[in-house]
Amino acid sequence: MSDLFARRLLVVTGKGGVGKSTVAAALATVAGSRGRRVLICELSARERMPALFGTRPSGAEVGLITPRISSVHVRPNEAMREYALMVLKFRAIYSAVFENRMVRYFLRAVPSLSEIVMLGKVCWHALQDDRFDLVVLDAPATGHALSLLSTPSTILELVNEGPLARDMRAMQALLEDARRSAVSLVALPEEMPVNEAVDLAAQLRKVVRMARGPDFLNAFFPSRFSEAAISSLKKDQDPNLEIAARAARAYEDRAALSAFYLEKMRTELGRPPICVPHLFSESFGALQVAQLAEVLDREIPA
Amino acid sequence: MSQLGKLLGERRVLVCVGPGGVGKTTCSAAMGLRAAMDGKKVLVLTIDPARRLANSLGISAIGNTETRITDASFRSARLSPKGQLWAMTLDMKLVWDDLVRRHAPSEKRRDQILGNRLYRQLSTKLAGSLEYMAMEKLFELAQSRDYDLLVLDTPPTVHALDFLEAPNRLLDVLDNDAARWLLTPALAAGEIGLKFGSLGASYVARTLAKFTGAQLLQELAQFLVAFRGMYEGFKERATLVKALLESEQTGFVLVTSPQTLAVDEAIFFARALREEQIPMQAAIMNRVYPQQTGAPSVATLRAAGVEETLAQTLAQTAQDYALLARADHAAQLRLASVLGPEIPLHSIPRFVRDVHDLRGLWEVNEHLFGDSA
Ligand SMILES: Nc1ncnc2c1ncn2[C@@H]1O[C@H](COP(=O)(O)OP(=O)(O)OP(=O)(O)O)[C@@H](O)[C@H]1O
Ligand SMILES: Nc1ncnc2c1ncn2[C@@H]1O[C@H](COP(=O)(O)OP(=O)(O)OP(=O)(O)O)[C@@H](O)[C@H]1O
Ligand SMILES: [Mg+2]
Ligand SMILES: [Mg+2]
Repeated sequence: MSDLFARRLLVVTGKGGVGKSTVAAALATVAGSRGRRVLICELSARERMPALFGTRPSGAEVGLITPRISSVHVRPNEAMREYALMVLKFRAIYSAVFENRMVRYFLRAVPSLSEIVMLGKVCWHALQDDRFDLVVLDAPATGHALSLLSTPSTILELVNEGPLARDMRAMQALLEDARRSAVSLVALPEEMPVNEAVDLAAQLRKVVRMARGPDFLNAFFPSRFSEAAISSLKKDQDPNLEIAARAARAYEDRAALSAFYLEKMRTELGRPPICVPHLFSESFGALQVAQLAEVLDREIPA
Repeated sequence: MSQLGKLLGERRVLVCVGPGGVGKTTCSAAMGLRAAMDGKKVLVLTIDPARRLANSLGISAIGNTETRITDASFRSARLSPKGQLWAMTLDMKLVWDDLVRRHAPSEKRRDQILGNRLYRQLSTKLAGSLEYMAMEKLFELAQSRDYDLLVLDTPPTVHALDFLEAPNRLLDVLDNDAARWLLTPALAAGEIGLKFGSLGASYVARTLAKFTGAQLLQELAQFLVAFRGMYEGFKERATLVKALLESEQTGFVLVTSPQTLAVDEAIFFARALREEQIPMQAAIMNRVYPQQTGAPSVATLRAAGVEETLAQTLAQTAQDYALLARADHAAQLRLASVLGPEIPLHSIPRFVRDVHDLRGLWEVNEHLFGDSA
């Protein structure tokens, strides 16, 4: 894989709750430490990125997280406004048309409209915003991400004239250019998340034709004990040894599952994912993101 | 008998709600299985079940067909139900098509809608569409009275409340004055020979067209024209569905996992249901790490004769596990304090493997009902 962070746009997706935001944050940290100026675009219902880094929420405006990393929470209404203003040029027209209550209502019926403007905003930052070298998109979960990324081609099926069509073509060109963008899949070492990642990889090949960045197997349990070590504890009846043996056994069960799904991802996706260790901690924040970034820094070639 | 057991006995409809990925489908299927074991004829209406579960139950992932779980499946799980267990996967596109067929005033109108290019997108992507269709199907099945119990598994929603608001939102979009106002010139041009020129009458429409392209707007106008006259039917249904959900026949079960964000959402959901005056009868916390009896220290393990490096790893691992269990316990307490004493909170431990067959579902039931196997 050629230099991942030399691209303009990295999309991170996977099943709900697998650690997309966490991996996106760690990736941004690594890119930042390698000198890139990074913008994380968050496309979820609730803004979480600043909290993950231990900074204040930045909302729909771009906010600085560290000197190298900024984030923005992409929201449909604000994105709509920005986009419309860009196309229409005049605020007066925008107000007359888009701030019309009836029109707002009506626009909800246009399929994919919010996706168009949100992806449009992300692509605008990736293509035209000189403040940043790289945009990391913390994308929605699988199905939704797929429809988001395929919006340009869906819209182009319906529309082939005017500013919308022109912008969709530019977005599609960015997404399909392997030198400028890539998509990474995140899974957990569990049945459904891995299946979804595998399905999504196939769908992406068919529908979106984006280049694939590294995949991530998150919350991985590396093996800690040999079988012999655990059974050596069983010989005598010391209750402390029993407790320890039970925990070790439970841990190794998880480790075995991790190994199983690592192998499954490797065979079904044709290459091994990067394993992101499960972190045991009461809370999850800046410290944990930094810890995971260290792991990724070792795994992702410069 | 546990409160859940009572619910299965008394209600005709059970709805499992909760955040994404926590085990709603698993719990729906498990409760359905339990009722079937007890002698009921049960249908579990699922959305997007895990492939392994669907495969092992023999229900196909597509097609809206009610499928009976075979005796052979039960035998291989060493179970002999007194009743029947049926399952069905909801295919949103097909439910939409059915609905259009049922409500379309004429064949011509029906074909116009089914053939509209926007329809395909609207029917699968419009916010609230899936939720509306789930309710629609539920209502249809409840009407037919073929089953003693219907268990409805719900789709994962971005906002927990979407599920309840979805039907109204969908109707809003389909039947909205704004669309009529905006497209009146276009609509007035009638169903045939709708020309974009007719949109040009309105300044607003023209400006919008600059933005979306004329084609898209035109197709949308055509789509809305075709839907005219069907709103009433839709609306009536939505009202009836709402009445069913609020009635005594229906029970709500909240499912969540101990993860902080999932619990936040579950709490939000519980409050929302309360505000909507929809009583929730039980809650389940799934995938919980059981409480540990304490973690031995390195010194203790060394004293018991364990070699240094192994003792260190063991102590660390026991500590790590205790931490997970502590966090899960705190999550249970947090949710329970919001639910109050009336709503029991059941918990299901985290199994090593996923739950993918009848036997696995039965094991889940042991934790829900205590007296299963
Ligand atoms: N490597 C890890 N070790 C331990 N916990 C983790 C790890 N990665 C993520 N988590 C925890 O898992 C939870 C989900 O992570 P995250 O929010 O990144 O997932 P997501 O895929 O972005 O979720 P969503 O689909 O809701 O956006 C968080 O509470 C996070 O703290
Ligand atoms: N107690 C448990 N222990 C281990 N695995 C479980 C447990 N409960 C559920 N699972 C597994 O977790 C996965 C998700 O469960 P399920 O499909 O029931 O969740 P869901 O809430 O319906 O998800 P979605 O919101 O995506 O529809 C499945 O693979 C299931 O087998
Ligand atoms: Mg996220
Ligand atoms: Mg489900």
